[in-house]
Amino acid sequence: MAVMRINVGPIHPSTHGVLRLVVDVDGDSIVNVEPHIGFLHRGVEKLCETRMYMQNPSYFEKLDYISPMSWDDLYVAAVEEAMGAEVKEPAQYARVVLIEFQRIANHLLWIGTLCNDIGQMFTVFMWCFRERAKVLKLLENVTGGRMFYNYMRVGGLQRPLPPDFKERALELTAYLRAKVSEYKDVLDANEVFMERLKGVGVLSRKDAINYGVTGPVLRASGVDEDARKSHPYYVYDKLDFNVVTMSGEDSYSRYKVRYDEIFQSIRIIEQAIDKMPEGDMVGQPIKLIGAPAKQDTVITRRELPKGEGLIYMVPDKQKPFRLSIRAPGFVNLAALPKMCEGAKFADLFAILGSLDIIFGETDR
Amino acid sequence: MRQIEGLKAKGFDYLKKITAVDYVDRIEVIYIIYNTESKKEEVVKVELDLNSPSIASVMHIYRAADWYERELQEMFGIKIEGRDAKRLLLEEWNGTDAPLRKSFVWGRDYKRME
Repeated sequence: MAVMRINVGPIHPSTHGVLRLVVDVDGDSIVNVEPHIGFLHRGVEKLCETRMYMQNPSYFEKLDYISPMSWDDLYVAAVEEAMGAEVKEPAQYARVVLIEFQRIANHLLWIGTLCNDIGQMFTVFMWCFRERAKVLKLLENVTGGRMFYNYMRVGGLQRPLPPDFKERALELTAYLRAKVSEYKDVLDANEVFMERLKGVGVLSRKDAINYGVTGPVLRASGVDEDARKSHPYYVYDKLDFNVVTMSGEDSYSRYKVRYDEIFQSIRIIEQAIDKMPEGDMVGQPIKLIGAPAKQDTVITRRELPKGEGLIYMVPDKQKPFRLSIRAPGFVNLAALPKMCEGAKFADLFAILGSLDIIFGETDR
Repeated sequence: MRQIEGLKAKGFDYLKKITAVDYVDRIEVIYIIYNTESKKEEVVKVELDLNSPSIASVMHIYRAADWYERELQEMFGIKIEGRDAKRLLLEEWNGTDAPLRKSFVWGRDYKRME
């Protein structure tokens, strides 16, 4: 049978942004998929070279509008490393709590949209958004912003956590633990959900490493790799948590890894709140930020919700001389053609949805 | 290149990032390579001539290099030997400018892209 070429996107409800896929199909089977990216390219890396250090965090938040706190943290950590600044200990605990809440919010949104992608319309989606709204409400209470926080400062935070933060956070983790447990009953017992995900989009362990995928996609292929364990930062080495890995190598494993990570994040938050010392956590005023002129390069890694983010920076006095971003969405999307080998066209969006890509960071 | 092959043989199986820096008098290409077993990281730096930069492809060693190399060609004008990409990475790119070079001035040259 002749191979037919189908264009998908750039505007399509299941691509979570502006992605164009050129798909070659033979009947119902996919022969080849070619992702075309770049519709959201803003030239962030170039833009950063023209701005002072602390003018940049808001660009980084917009790289991933589902988890802005994590990117904010990654960038500020890179600046801290360039300056040689220490983060105050209470602020380290506070950052861990905030970025883990952000991870929960990110994974909740992802589970909801995945269910939409594979035809489990709206019930789970609405549940996830109900829970995510509570997380955002807490972050809004802390930072003043619902989506974009701009809360990290060199050496600490913009201002102290509100006085009732600990109680509110613990109340929320108890609520999340109860509610998120319900999803399993609905999803794992749902034959349609399982059939659409099990054995779909298989990426073997060897290929996962060779293609360089990252984050939950890599862990779902059985690779025990998490920057929080392999390059511990902040106080993660003092907290007890597991790296979730699955050996299924398929879309269902990717769902399961993220689902279990929510509970690991809850564990981390509860321990960090328990151990958080009292004290000053406010960072340096923006005016004082500047790196010493003669500097080697800086490599900073953080385990973002979508995978390992990395900044390679050549610092200069007032501005970065060069700043290069490794975005998890970029590397995961590059492996899409491999995962689609031999898949049916209808599975394309179950596979794409399982990657958790976002185009702010993929196109930069 | 030979260094990277040696690293791969030593178990450094995961390519994290390829990037480049334009130091005005030279271009440096950086490979960040990782070992998923021992959790060690190696950084390989290669210096290139500014006028006609070109570097050998490592795609046969690490498949992850595909998009990074296309990005290098697009953003720095570095020619990648040993592979002919049908198209570069970003959609609707004119393919002649190298925007992340320092000779490309932000605010002055970006108009040419239209």
